[in-house]
Amino acid sequence: MNRLRIYPKKLFWRLFYIVLVASLILDFVWLYTHVLHYHFHFQHFIQFFAIFGLFGCMALILIAKGIGFFIVTDENYYEKKSRREK
Amino acid sequence: MITWIHPGLVILLGGFLIPFIKWRRVRLTYFLCLPLAGLAILLMTSMGVFGSLPAWPESLYKWNVPFMKFTLELGRINKLSLLFGYVYVIAAFCMNIYAIRVKNNWEHVAAMIYVGSALGAIFAGDLFTLFFCLEIMSWAPFFLLAFRGTKKSMGAAVRYVLWHHLSGVCVLAGILMHFHHTGSIAFVHMPWGWGWEYLGYHLMLLGFLINSATIPFHSWLSDTYSEATTSGSVYMTAFTTKTAVFCLIVSFSGVSLLMWLGVMSAMFSVFLAVLENDGRRLLSYHIVSQVGYMVAGVGIGTEMAINGAAAHAFCHIIYKGLLYMGAGCALTVVGTAKFNRLGGLYKYMPVSFWLTMIGGLSISAFPLFSGFISKTMTLEAAELIKQPIVYLLLEGASIGTFLHTGLKLPWNIWLQGKDEPSPDIRAKLKDSAINTPVHMLIGMGILAFLCIFLGVYPKILYSMLPYPVEFVPYTVTKVFSITQMFIFAFIGFWILRKMVAGHPTYTLDTDWFVRIPGMAFVRFCKGPLISFGTVLDRAVLSAADFVIASVRNPKTETLITPRAISFGASFALLVILFFLAIYA
Repeated sequence: MNRLRIYPKKLFWRLFYIVLVASLILDFVWLYTHVLHYHFHFQHFIQFFAIFGLFGCMALILIAKGIGFFIVTDENYYEKKSRREK
Repeated sequence: MITWIHPGLVILLGGFLIPFIKWRRVRLTYFLCLPLAGLAILLMTSMGVFGSLPAWPESLYKWNVPFMKFTLELGRINKLSLLFGYVYVIAAFCMNIYAIRVKNNWEHVAAMIYVGSALGAIFAGDLFTLFFCLEIMSWAPFFLLAFRGTKKSMGAAVRYVLWHHLSGVCVLAGILMHFHHTGSIAFVHMPWGWGWEYLGYHLMLLGFLINSATIPFHSWLSDTYSEATTSGSVYMTAFTTKTAVFCLIVSFSGVSLLMWLGVMSAMFSVFLAVLENDGRRLLSYHIVSQVGYMVAGVGIGTEMAINGAAAHAFCHIIYKGLLYMGAGCALTVVGTAKFNRLGGLYKYMPVSFWLTMIGGLSISAFPLFSGFISKTMTLEAAELIKQPIVYLLLEGASIGTFLHTGLKLPWNIWLQGKDEPSPDIRAKLKDSAINTPVHMLIGMGILAFLCIFLGVYPKILYSMLPYPVEFVPYTVTKVFSITQMFIFAFIGFWILRKMVAGHPTYTLDTDWFVRIPGMAFVRFCKGPLISFGTVLDRAVLSAADFVIASVRNPKTETLITPRAISFGASFALLVILFFLAIYA
């Protein structure tokens, strides 16, 4: 029971940093040794997927928050609208 | 030799018996056995007990029923319908385990009707049977929604039926126009073009697009799925949209419009998911997004893309069921799936957390999980037809999927960096590590096992796909690129994690354009129209009173019966008309 309660934070972060660094190095190595086969030329850009992942993710959240400025409303939006009719 | 029995009919009719079985244990065993019976029939069909199965696109025909001057083909068995059939019954079995403690037996009946009619639709060989099954499918979830019993869920149930009747009417109009043109009711690949003579096919496609929740007709899905009962919503994730994808594969594969609509669905719904506060609504947007991949695959239309769409539908039903079950755990145990109220549940339900994580990693297409072996197929199909924009948008959507379902959902429900949930939530939890009912965990466990199994051993799924597969998912390039992308997406999430925290808000969607005018119409009917009617009514009545008063004979008060009144009124009318005719 107690083992389940251990929150494996430290282990996770250590693994994460190892994989992160490994992926950066492997991209250089594999791209220049022609292990990676891509279909489009932009995929051959160095660290393309790292940049795409990082900025894609951040852009997604920021753009969505921008859109949200217009479309996010109160939790009971439709209920209030229909109540006003009565 | 044994004759083939329609698995859908077994499940549909068998479902009606559930409430009439008195003994609880027998009833529940029977309930679990229904999908297994369907599975047994499908397995026997695959093994060739009912005749050998020809290669796609040829089919084996069973149960041809003469109907007026047509022949209804209730059992058209081919590789594609078997693939969908398998996943339907397997998913239904796990969902039945998940739903086994539901007190209301009629909810089980509704679910079984739903599963049975979905099976009916995918084995339909003609358009009438298809339409009939789609109509049943539009009613069964009504009950899954209505049984929740809240005012919101009743409204959602009505909206669900309205949307699906709209799609049903479109499909029916398309079928009739198609029949008018060709004289055939076979459910086959339809012609496609942009002229007026293709109007029927446009309508049919519109009907399927509404059913498959493709943008901009997706809003019914997030609106209704999040309002159903906990187990009801789990059933709803699987069948309607995937049946529509099946219909699209059969009748509209290769229509490039679908490719663009699918890509837009995949991408746009991810943006909306960022803003969501309700776990089940967030997952609903990801159904839209994932179905977008399938629709895009159907639109690309090459053999690999069709395979990708079918495989993705297979995997999607499994992991999406799992994810909905995960959100449902929180809903069942603490009574809410809203992010702003949850967080810190990990200590109390870690098993649900890890099982949901498996679903999250599967939907994000992490290597060794089921999404990876199917999503990469569609992506590669997009690469092979040299469509960089389609590829980039689909890849971007998969970042979004990972961001929400792999990170935001588990983070917000179970973690949020808190060790303890908020006090009101804590009060509902027992002091143990397993708060989730065990049967729910078993249902989730089977699905989670399937997610990993398919990811590790994709061959079994690939052998079931319609076209022969020459696709290798585990190449260095694919595994590496997707892993690196997700690692960096995680960094992006970690930097901006405060921005995706839940706030008690509601996100407007395209249904605003329908619901607000609809409300205005209802308001118009309730207000001005009714008062106009009342005024008119009063005027007519006072005119009648006036006529009565003027023709009344005071001595024969009792003679004024309704008949006399109407006689008097019509007489007066005649007189007026007479004078009008003379003077006008």
